[in-house]
Amino acid sequence: MKLFHERWRIAVSLLAAGALDNSDRDATFAHIEACEACRREHAESVTLLEAFARDPVHGAEPEIPTTFLVSRVQARLDAVVPSSLWRWRWTAAALVLAASLAVVVPAVVSRFVPAAPTTVPVAMGEDSLRRLERNMARAQAARYLDQAQDVLVTMAAAPRDCDHDKARVDVGAEVLRSRELLTRRALLVEMDQDGLASARPVLEDVEHVLREVASLRSCVRAGDVERVRRDLEQRRLLMKIRLMSRELEG
Amino acid sequence: MEPSDAELLVRLAGGDRDALAPLMERHERRLYRIALAYVRNPDDALDVVQETFVRAYQNAARWDGTAEVGRWLTRIGVNQAIDRYRRDKRRRMTHEPLEEGDHDERAADDGPSPERRVAATETGARIGAALAALPEKQRSIFVLRHYQDMALEEIAETLGLPLGTVKSGLHRAILGLRQRLEGLQP
Repeated sequence: MKLFHERWRIAVSLLAAGALDNSDRDATFAHIEACEACRREHAESVTLLEAFARDPVHGAEPEIPTTFLVSRVQARLDAVVPSSLWRWRWTAAALVLAASLAVVVPAVVSRFVPAAPTTVPVAMGEDSLRRLERNMARAQAARYLDQAQDVLVTMAAAPRDCDHDKARVDVGAEVLRSRELLTRRALLVEMDQDGLASARPVLEDVEHVLREVASLRSCVRAGDVERVRRDLEQRRLLMKIRLMSRELEG
Repeated sequence: MEPSDAELLVRLAGGDRDALAPLMERHERRLYRIALAYVRNPDDALDVVQETFVRAYQNAARWDGTAEVGRWLTRIGVNQAIDRYRRDKRRRMTHEPLEEGDHDERAADDGPSPERRVAATETGARIGAALAALPEKQRSIFVLRHYQDMALEEIAETLGLPLGTVKSGLHRAILGLRQRLEGLQP
């Protein structure tokens, strides 16, 4: 009986939400007529949903024109790794795997078969491997710099007031992203050093400023943001990042 | 004749970014309201819409051609809004431990730019806090029904849920909101 009535309770809620078709609506109305508790529930739900109709979300409009938003999406797409580059990376990974197999398989086979003087294919595999590693390291570094640039630009350009303290600005998202990027920076250090030699000064500058941001709390004084902004300007870091990203992307 | 949504999506899948603008013109406002109902902040809602179209571009090739484009975009948008909400929640928990009930206070205390904040009105603040307290599935169902007036079958298809789950989810959402918003006058 209770389960049966639970179905009616669901129907009553759906009726209040205007989500029933004609036949279900009529049946539920008929049930409500005979069930005082259901009538009360229906009235309360209707009251609630009428209050929801006053939510300012209804009729809210985006605060920027569509053309601006389109530009933002285009910029984001420029910032993320193009899909063709991803395809290249998969291809590169497959080549690296093939090259590794070219090294490993002969070594395993040589344990069972008398050694033959075939050093040339192994040497070519290592060359290819090194070149691919170098390209991948540079692509990773370029991506890291692009993302660091995003964080630093946002940090310097448009911090928002903290929700609970209007005298301070909210940089929580940038602080978090800086910390994530610093973790990735640690991985870059382990990658091909020769390939990244020219980028090292910029990477170090970026790391310095990211550490500055990462050490902040999420809600800071405007002066803290100003300090980061000055540091960026003194180092002319945004321009350097842009130039280095282009160089790394070749 | 203007290209259909499906044609635009096929162009996106082929890497034609010019197809973004007309697609955004058609769906941006609807997705913005869904996002705003979730995240309750205009800037965050714009970010959600932006990411929705970024994902749409990146995944256009995976669109199977049978699903209605608007629903496909809505599903991406809802997922983005949920992600955004979770991220913000984690951030608040990591950096600013909240007291019980602090959420309401934050939502209500959006001082200097009230015209920019949905939470600026008392109703908006209370509604935002009550919605935030709902489980994600219930919140998604309620938002699509109440703010987009979607039929239950459409919601089921958009969210990939059985129709029965959508019905009971909407019912529970209404009960949960009633409990939390007792005394809110229409």
